[in-house]
Amino acid sequence: MADKFHDEILNLKCDVVNMARFGRTMLNDSMIALQLQDLEMARGVKGRKVTLQEQHDSLEDRIFTMIALYQPVARDLRTLVCSLMIVQSSERIGRYGKDIANATRHLADTDTTGNFISIPHMSELVVGMIDDATLAYEQENLNTIEDMSKRDDVVDSLRTSIFRECLTYMMEDPRTITRCTHYVMISRFLERSGDHACKMAEKIHYMVTGERTEIK
Amino acid sequence: MVIHMTECKEIIQVDHVNLWYGDSLALRDVTIGMPDRQVTALIGPSGCGKSTLIRCLNRMNDLVDTCRIQGTVNFHSKNIYASDVDPVDIRRKIGMVFQRPNPFPKSIYENVSYGPRVHGIKERKQLDAIVEKSLKRAALWDEVKDRLHDSAMGLSGGQQQRLCIARTLAVEPEVILMDEPCSALDPIATAKIENLIEELKTEYCVVIVTHNMQQASRVSDYTGFMYMGELAEFGTTRQIFEAPRETLTENYITGRFG
Ligand SMILES: Nc1ncnc2c1ncn2[C@@H]1O[C@H](COP(=O)(O)OP(=O)(O)OP(=O)(O)O)[C@@H](O)[C@H]1O
Ligand SMILES: [Mg+2]
Repeated sequence: MADKFHDEILNLKCDVVNMARFGRTMLNDSMIALQLQDLEMARGVKGRKVTLQEQHDSLEDRIFTMIALYQPVARDLRTLVCSLMIVQSSERIGRYGKDIANATRHLADTDTTGNFISIPHMSELVVGMIDDATLAYEQENLNTIEDMSKRDDVVDSLRTSIFRECLTYMMEDPRTITRCTHYVMISRFLERSGDHACKMAEKIHYMVTGERTEIK
Repeated sequence: MVIHMTECKEIIQVDHVNLWYGDSLALRDVTIGMPDRQVTALIGPSGCGKSTLIRCLNRMNDLVDTCRIQGTVNFHSKNIYASDVDPVDIRRKIGMVFQRPNPFPKSIYENVSYGPRVHGIKERKQLDAIVEKSLKRAALWDEVKDRLHDSAMGLSGGQQQRLCIARTLAVEPEVILMDEPCSALDPIATAKIENLIEELKTEYCVVIVTHNMQQASRVSDYTGFMYMGELAEFGTTRQIFEAPRETLTENYITGRFG
């Protein structure tokens, strides 16, 4: 019975990794669509929301069932707790991708396309954090998430600077208000996604070492 | 909730104990403390020495001819294996409940009053009071108060086990040892015993041997993992079941053994 359970954990982990990459790719693709002003691609991202939700529900259900059936302890329990957390964070991250894809439509008809301030840079950092958290989970190795808190600080300060920059644009020219409001929101979504990467890293640390830690 | 060893007074201290049955070593250099008013669980694979260790704590091993013990077991800082110690007295202060409920084939009342009577209490009123108090503490009173003079053999397994606990409590022990007290019981009876253990620990030091990991994690404050006669790891139950230090412990409690 125990071996069946441990096989199930391995399979679950693979599927959680796939879901984490699915959510991450929704976020990443939404940013590409935004920069390319590709409405078709943005619609594609929005369409993935259903699959994302299905993956979330079915993985969550599997984890609850495994806990109920096997009453795991020690590392097994920590792995399931961490997996649950990653499933939830990945769903949030994917949905932020969908939200950004929604905004693309509003930003496409402005003639100031291409001016995204430091949003693309911010998204690169955040996607990198998600990738490294996912890798750490997959390989149960903390190397890639060691500097998570520093990276999150950079993301936070980018959000603040984007906000201030947008304020000045909006004051100079009220016609930029719609666009800049979207920028502020997008930077907020990215910052939240970075927070999710940090939360994931905390739980991965717990899974691997058994010790709780707080990032930042 | 994290409890540190130093905060709890240890009522029993086992110090460097080796124990042989004939030529075979069953306990190897075991050192462990049992804090008062806490539940200590002993877990480990079959044959690792859990019953042997728990039986050391009230000299039940004296009853085995081939058994030889080295080291000390201090109860209130006095070695219970010292020559001037009366094992009968020790077994009164450190009571034991076994795997299979073993009531005497007598009435419920007589089962509980037997111990106090042996210890010289003759007065009926006093015995009545002890029987009631013990049965109440064992969470059995309400179920049997109208048939105290019926045979104990007519009780269910779970009731019999609580009767055995009441019998142990009747002689006012300080420590209660339980060797797999629930393994012959159904889940409802098991839950009752577990609740009872929770109650008992407010007044007694409880030591329990169990094969049921979930039970150990539910009822105990400290857990010792034994392996081949040694205490492989000891810690708060929370630590043992959340993040054990030893790979051996991890493998055992997660079912990756052998
Ligand atoms: N009375 C005895 N005479 C000789 N050997 C014994 C005696 N009691 C136990 N042993 C041996 O001592 C070792 C430890 O036995 P013990 O009963 O303490 O194990 P345990 O951990 O309680 O196992 P279980 O989980 O099966 O109850 C075993 O190898 C056993 O065979
Ligand atoms: Mg035993």
